[in-house]
Amino acid sequence: MVTEELVRQKLKSVIDPEVGFNIVDMGLVYGIDIKDKKVIITMTLTTPGCPMHDSITEWAERVVKQLDPVMDVKINLVWEPQWTPDMMSNEIKELLGY
Amino acid sequence: MINTNSIASSYSPPIKIVIKYMGTAVLAFVLLTFLQLLEYETITGHHFQPKILALTHIATLGWITMIIFGALFQLVPVVLEVKLFSEVLAEIQYWIYLIGAAGLVYGFWVFDSKNFIMPSAIVLNAAMLIFAFNMIMTFIRVKKWNITGYYLAAAVFYLIVTAVAGLLLSINLYTPYIKINHLQYLNLHAHIAFVGWVSFVVMGVTYKLIPMFTLSHKYSTKSALGAFVLINTGLLGISTAMHYENTTIFFYFFVILIAVGIFLFLYQVYMIFKNRVRRKLDVGLELSVAAFIFFGISTLTGLITGVGNLSDVRNLSLIYGYLIVFGYLSMLIIGQLHKILPFLRWYHKYSSKAGKENVPMLKDMYSEKVGYSILYLMLSGMAVLTISFILDIQIGVLIAFILFFTASILFMINMITVLRR
Repeated sequence: MVTEELVRQKLKSVIDPEVGFNIVDMGLVYGIDIKDKKVIITMTLTTPGCPMHDSITEWAERVVKQLDPVMDVKINLVWEPQWTPDMMSNEIKELLGY
Repeated sequence: MINTNSIASSYSPPIKIVIKYMGTAVLAFVLLTFLQLLEYETITGHHFQPKILALTHIATLGWITMIIFGALFQLVPVVLEVKLFSEVLAEIQYWIYLIGAAGLVYGFWVFDSKNFIMPSAIVLNAAMLIFAFNMIMTFIRVKKWNITGYYLAAAVFYLIVTAVAGLLLSINLYTPYIKINHLQYLNLHAHIAFVGWVSFVVMGVTYKLIPMFTLSHKYSTKSALGAFVLINTGLLGISTAMHYENTTIFFYFFVILIAVGIFLFLYQVYMIFKNRVRRKLDVGLELSVAAFIFFGISTLTGLITGVGNLSDVRNLSLIYGYLIVFGYLSMLIIGQLHKILPFLRWYHKYSSKAGKENVPMLKDMYSEKVGYSILYLMLSGMAVLTISFILDIQIGVLIAFILFFTASILFMINMITVLRR
């Protein structure tokens, strides 16, 4: 069975190639909803117009689809609330010296 | 919550056209540093010499503007969330522009205004008009304007002013008709080019890219707006005042406005860096920071030269030119290409593989060591060159040019590394 925790683990393999950290620890994943056979991931990016836009969202979609059983995946990209560095995990904050 | 189905990067033109412009620019930079090394003995004294004019135009047209064209075809769609009006026009423009730039450089080298300089200026004007048309048609479709957009729109305007002024100057070389001193008009042409065209692009793009790379947040953008108003007023002011023989007090007033505007921009950059989340800078950003410092130094030098009427001091205009072209712009371009090219390559090669196999990070796409070597070569080159110009040491000029040439080769190697990853 696909659980929120499994999806979150999968999303941890999606790494922003510029910053080098995964999107979950970056605080970019706002929500994971699992309904019937569908996973809906609500996420954002550090800035609108980010050229990594579709790379990262497609990457996220691809890894979640690897879960067993395979489920429909929808990425719901939102700009509100706007991402702030406070949303990052403490570990990353420390690594960045923030 | 705002949903968006728009995929920013799907607006981007094919990588081919961007790489074509950028690749040609990198080659032009190597050619520039090579030719100035060969001609090192002629590069002292007054800047109005055929060889120096030829080298200046390899720098401005072949290196700097070529890069800007490539970068804008890539960035305008990303920054303004709009599709480029025409990729075909961008392709046509490339060839017309290349012919014009090569013809102009050759024309200056052999100093033939009738057969080369003037006809090439006409060809270049055609290329610039194609670019401006492509941009204006793209701008028309923009739904959400931002500060970067304002700067880019103004830059396109000043590009056309620069090109037309260049054409008028080329005609004047053939049949003198400009009533004011040719050099005064050349001075105006150069400053509209460096401040209005090049620096407006630099500023607009900086406001978008530097926060993206450094994850900067929570800073005011008032200085960016202030810089825009002051520099535009100053540029339009000198464009008027410098058409008269006696430029009067207005010249000083507008030059100071431009300088204050540039320092407001630099203050804005400082605020962005100060509020960054990523404390450690990579080599691309370190090169950029050095470039911004050189922008400040060159602005001060220009201000002192202009207001203090010091343009006759030996080698001062050369020092000023090198601070702008090598210290400020070349270091910025080298730094930013270490960010943009790896992204372009990654996006096209690894984007679809991510999640299926291991993909590199952007910083793994080039050699950081080589990047730092370029930074130190450029910095030491600038130091040696400035001292050599001040003290008039010819061998120092030669050494500096060897350092620049080596830097350009390493830069080319690092960019090839990116493309082969």
